[in-house]
Amino acid sequence: MMKQQRPLTKEQYLKKFSRAVRWRLPPQESEEAIADYRELVFQPERDESKLVEELGEPVQAAHLLTDVKAYRRWLKIFAVLAFGLFLLAKWAWMGHSSFYFSFADQWWYPVWVMAVGLALSLYWFRRYGQKNGPLSKRLVLALVVVLAFGAGTMAWNWYVFDSSFLDSYVERYPLIIPWQVILQRELIINGGMICALIALAGLILAKCYDRRWLALYTLAVTVAAVCGFIIFFCRSIDIGYAVRSSAQSYLFARLIPIGAAGLIGTGVALC
Amino acid sequence: MLKKDLLELCLLQLLSQGDKYGYEVLTPLRAAFPDTQESAIYALLRGLGKSGLTSWYMAPGGGGPDRKYYRITSAGQARLEEMRDQWRNMRDAIASFGVE
Repeated sequence: MMKQQRPLTKEQYLKKFSRAVRWRLPPQESEEAIADYRELVFQPERDESKLVEELGEPVQAAHLLTDVKAYRRWLKIFAVLAFGLFLLAKWAWMGHSSFYFSFADQWWYPVWVMAVGLALSLYWFRRYGQKNGPLSKRLVLALVVVLAFGAGTMAWNWYVFDSSFLDSYVERYPLIIPWQVILQRELIINGGMICALIALAGLILAKCYDRRWLALYTLAVTVAAVCGFIIFFCRSIDIGYAVRSSAQSYLFARLIPIGAAGLIGTGVALC
Repeated sequence: MLKKDLLELCLLQLLSQGDKYGYEVLTPLRAAFPDTQESAIYALLRGLGKSGLTSWYMAPGGGGPDRKYYRITSAGQARLEEMRDQWRNMRDAIASFGVE
């Protein structure tokens, strides 16, 4: 027996339509279409029980306004970027990659994903994305939070990879993992995964509302890549004396340029 | 002429009679073409705007919030004339086969 669908209220119809049209159209065009539909849906003469019958399904209505070629192009880009974020989250959680390239250490893999993500997203959004109104305060707040987390994580890793700290623990308590290292591990594992999710949110918001939300994607993907780099590095090294004395300088000589590239990308996304 | 072209012709003809807001445009067309949903007609109306055949402005609407009024442009008028000719030719061609 077919399930009887409950008719949509005017508010529900407009909400569904807005969601569908924002995903398919550039921000300014979608705002215009939503305003038009608001006027059409909320006409006093409009019978709510016949909304779908008269106007069509909300998703179908949005589809009719879609430039199919441009939409397919966006879906391809989104699939590549979302897959990159999935890899970053997976690597943060698992701490290893299920594939291996002999010509590079595994800790570079998150950086490759970041590089591809930054290049592809900046190209696409600078070309096809749209600014929409003044800079959102929520975006600024989100950027500050991610930046503070990234800077805090870097600072904590600077402290943990300091040779005097490592020496003192490895020599005095070789079998105990110090709380500082446990905190560092939790920061980079959870931070890496959360930043991948934040980057996904930034990507979706950049498509639906304002291309400057891409700054959140670029910053969060950079922090996720930095976390991935550190996780792979920690899993790969053996804390011998030689490593202890050079780990901090080796790590930060690479992390600082990666972070700087991410910050430049964030600035470009905001312009 | 496809159904889409007929709808476009009717849209332009309707707007040539005076400026109209969205609901005023969609309702008579849906009544004339009952198997066509308003979303499809709206998509066509939007397409006409993008091609420069119509333009719009906001104006107070019957005590409620401002409404978006559509108006035909000079390019739209020219296109309407062209489509009317096409329609007459097609109607004559069909009539020549004895179709009433």
